[in-house]
Amino acid sequence: MDNKEQSKDSSTDRSDLVSEDGKNSKSVVCQRCGSKVLCPGMAVFAEKELFLPSMRKKSGLGSTTDSSVDGDTLTAHWFVDDMYTFENVGFTNDVGRIKYLICADCEIGPIGWHCLDDKKSFYVAVERVNHA
Amino acid sequence: MDPRYDIPRRAAGGGGGSANSSPALGAQSRRRKMPPRPADFKLQIIIIGSRGVGKTSLMERYTDDTFCEACKSTVGVDFKIKTVELRGKKIRLQIWDTAGQERFNSITSAYYRSAKGIVLVYDITKQETFDDLPKWMKMIDKYASEEAELLLVGNKLDCESDRIISKQQGERFASRISGMRFCEASAKDNFNVDEIFLKLVDDILSKMPLEVTNKELSNSVLSLQPEPEVPPELPPPRMRCC
Repeated sequence: MDNKEQSKDSSTDRSDLVSEDGKNSKSVVCQRCGSKVLCPGMAVFAEKELFLPSMRKKSGLGSTTDSSVDGDTLTAHWFVDDMYTFENVGFTNDVGRIKYLICADCEIGPIGWHCLDDKKSFYVAVERVNHA
Repeated sequence: MDPRYDIPRRAAGGGGGSANSSPALGAQSRRRKMPPRPADFKLQIIIIGSRGVGKTSLMERYTDDTFCEACKSTVGVDFKIKTVELRGKKIRLQIWDTAGQERFNSITSAYYRSAKGIVLVYDITKQETFDDLPKWMKMIDKYASEEAELLLVGNKLDCESDRIISKQQGERFASRISGMRFCEASAKDNFNVDEIFLKLVDDILSKMPLEVTNKELSNSVLSLQPEPEVPPELPPPRMRCC
């Protein structure tokens, strides 16, 4: 039996994170402070290409002066349709029509994405959170 | 390059095969039939007070850490969802931090109207933040629901040596307003911070009879944006040809 935790290409095998019915089998927690974002079984695994500014960037993500915001286009997300599904999460002010999701306790982020045009879609990027 | 996230149709750690015969998986699927309820109650809370009193830090657990500067200073945090458990109930708090909107009239009345709890913060080391309290109370009287629970917080207890406002002064102010609670806190040391929210929620819950809370929950349309100032437009009257 191989250890999935140590699998180099973990992005292709999410069976340890996604349950049979497509939900998160583990708690979704902040990578830095461990604050719980989602309880197990509350979110659905979803694929959608979303751009999230880098978590480490110093300059502003709302800055209009530098047009090339540093970040990643991420495809794997936890999807919920109601913001009250979250245990703990923060919402940034609007950046255009987007609100980024951050950790409610240590404010690291963006860990997720929400568009004001779709009030029933909230995405948390799988790569920007830990699973416990 | 198009990495496909292949989700194998088997439970994690399971050896595949006869999933239904496994007692553990059976329990899992039974659980699945009853979807977990996200929360028992949802409450909106706003944090108000003059500039620099530490409103934002009351919402954070680790204040001395380095934050994502991009999020914090440029874009700013609009609101947070936080979960507390009290009396065996799971309560989701939607907490609005009004930092950056400290001019008394700049916080929209919608924030006040929807709030079940209002945390009014001053800085125990700054006289003017205490002197501002009556002005904040005016806003609360004007816009907030009479049922809203009020909590006065003297913040920055970690700066005890610079204290200007005594605990008694705070207590006296709160005692003049019916139903207003008072406490001192240090967001920096995380002293009393969790208690503040628990206390407030406890007060809110104890005021709500169970039937009312349930009704409240099912009827409340909680939107991301504060409600618009104008009432929704009535449907246009039907045109009739005479």
